[in-house]
Amino acid sequence: MKPTLELMRDVLDHDVVDVDGVRCGMVDDIEFAEGAAGAPVLAALLVGPGAWQERLPALLAVVSAWLFGRARTRVPWGEVAELTQSVKLARRASELGLGRLDRKAATWLKRLPGA
Amino acid sequence: MGKFAEVFLGILTAMGGFVEIGELTFTLNAGRRFEYALLWIVLLGTVGIMVYCEMAGRIAAVKHQAVFSLIRERDGFSAGLLTLVAASLVNVLTCAAEVGGVALLWQLLSGWPYRALLLAALVFFVVVVWSTPFEWIERIFGLGGLLMIVFMVLAVRLEPDWASVAAGFAPSLPRPAGGRDTLMYTFYGVALLSSIMLPYETYFYAAGGIEDRWKPSDVTLNRVVVIVGFSLGALLSVSLVLIGAEFFKPRSLDPALPGTAALAAADSFGNIGLYVALLGMFFAFAGAAIETALSAAYNLAQFAGWPWGLDKRPRDASRFALAWIAVFVLATVVVMTGIDPISVVEYSIVFSVVVLPLSYFPVLAVARDRGIMGPYANGPLANALGWFYLVLITVAALAALPLFVATHAGQG
Repeated sequence: MKPTLELMRDVLDHDVVDVDGVRCGMVDDIEFAEGAAGAPVLAALLVGPGAWQERLPALLAVVSAWLFGRARTRVPWGEVAELTQSVKLARRASELGLGRLDRKAATWLKRLPGA
Repeated sequence: MGKFAEVFLGILTAMGGFVEIGELTFTLNAGRRFEYALLWIVLLGTVGIMVYCEMAGRIAAVKHQAVFSLIRERDGFSAGLLTLVAASLVNVLTCAAEVGGVALLWQLLSGWPYRALLLAALVFFVVVVWSTPFEWIERIFGLGGLLMIVFMVLAVRLEPDWASVAAGFAPSLPRPAGGRDTLMYTFYGVALLSSIMLPYETYFYAAGGIEDRWKPSDVTLNRVVVIVGFSLGALLSVSLVLIGAEFFKPRSLDPALPGTAALAAADSFGNIGLYVALLGMFFAFAGAAIETALSAAYNLAQFAGWPWGLDKRPRDASRFALAWIAVFVLATVVVMTGIDPISVVEYSIVFSVVVLPLSYFPVLAVARDRGIMGPYANGPLANALGWFYLVLITVAALAALPLFVATHAGQG
């Protein structure tokens, strides 16, 4: 890991990959908490439409909330195992509530031959 | 086979970009209108697409990162989303044109109704992509597309004036310069450049490198694949320009349908020429349909962080699988409306030139970054060419829409 971390460049908008190497979203936003002496401390990664919508122009945010909902998953910073080109997590996506729609679509697709 | 077979990724990518239905007719028309005067654009565009596919392929081999991950990372979320929307539109429209083109070819051979054949084409594509591993898609459609070489043989057989052909590779304006002709020539030049440097070629190529599990040691292979694949595509484009000038211009024929292109082969080589040309076009259009549908699904999955790839079972990359199926369905619906596939492509070419700078900037930014790429970062040549083409496509992107309107989409 590099000695200094550039959050905007090295974390935000990077792939999130779980412990099994399964992609389970992107770092759509970053949450800070107030640390000792009031300094901001990195608290969690936010994943999902509810996180990226806040980065859109207002009108688009309303339209996309209507289209995709406002769900978002909070991944505590402590769950991050390694930072490379992607953000690697220490646990499985299902344990952290990530990749839900993929699993839902999979249960439906499984019925087809060759899936 | 082994490493050698990787060359089919380059061939399939280039075929899907250089001789898909839109560019096939567009290039013939460019030759018919301006003879050899636009050949230098083919050369310019080919070097450009080689430069950017080489960089994207190198990033895929070294960092296993695909183009849309880079776009989101480097352009930011909003600009990345804009690029995603525009690129998806281009992919769906181009895919629609190719599905239409395949149905038109089947109609020529069978005489069955066009709309029924469109549905048959939809089923064909979904079954092929669902059931065929990526490396076999590469091999089947790359190899089949090689039948298009019949157009190269034909171009030589038409005995063009080789000195004038060579002169066409030097930049020039049509004579007399100025006025309407120059405007048309500029439109054709920009559209030809854009259609050779189509962004989906880069998206697909880099994703293909990841599908084929390239490693850092494959960077030389990547270079060879790019050079062989795109040189072949360029030679085909040059051949089509020559055929436009030598066959269609003297006969005052307007090659508005793909079947017309096959006529030129039939005229010289009889029935065999006709069938080889039709079969070659089938593989080229079908390859382009698959390339654009997969490219749309790759882009979406990479942008949103979904699992993707044909090496995974559909249940393990479920939203990716649903995405490419949805693209084929949407594409078929577009051509079902009865809209002319070729005019669909004309619109998509103009859209694609607008997304070119947004797609290519992140590729250059990462490929030149030693902090990310280490010893595999761009050398001075790749950097110089990368910047040159970035400026060129930005100018082309700014000029594309006004030219499109001023020339009534090249209709004069």
